[in-house]
Amino acid sequence: MTMYVLLNLAVLAMLLILPVLMPVRLNWRGVWITFAIMLVATIVFDSLIIASKIVAYDMDLILGLYIGKAPIEDFAYMIAAALFVPYLWERFGKK
Amino acid sequence: MHVLYLTVICVGILGMGIIDWRYKLALFYNKRRTILVVGIMMAIFLAWDIIGISLGIFFSGSSPYTTGIMVAPELPIEEIFFLLLLSYMPLVLYRKFSVK
Repeated sequence: MTMYVLLNLAVLAMLLILPVLMPVRLNWRGVWITFAIMLVATIVFDSLIIASKIVAYDMDLILGLYIGKAPIEDFAYMIAAALFVPYLWERFGKK
Repeated sequence: MHVLYLTVICVGILGMGIIDWRYKLALFYNKRRTILVVGIMMAIFLAWDIIGISLGIFFSGSSPYTTGIMVAPELPIEEIFFLLLLSYMPLVLYRKFSVK
């Protein structure tokens, strides 16, 4: 039931440890707008991909909660992207 | 129709590329830094996908909209391009909407 959610939470936790240990100044306005746009895009496109059977899930291994047709676990990818990409960019800006 | 999904992804990447080029945000601002950030994020996503696949959580469906070309078991070529978009798009958006 929870394999996918556990995997995604574990990966998210690992990713988000870095900004805690090695913080960097983020432009939070940029992060929020990026997050909002990617959230809408994910809801729309993930649902389309699933509806057109481009990808499929083992129903036993997911929670069964959806936003649109997208399993809620899928949103971990876009959360990781919206937070970690700006973090990496700012991190590699330090001289 | 088999290239439809791949085409849509590539249109997304190109769209982001045009915005990047127009406003000199990422690749057209600092090529090395962009490649580093996008490369690292893609590697993370790829590892994440591979773990999910090996745990049997998701698998490649068969669809009239995909090429059927596999890079690895249950890992279609479209996924590589998708992960590129997923890594590049937030960078371009973040850079665009950071107060400049």
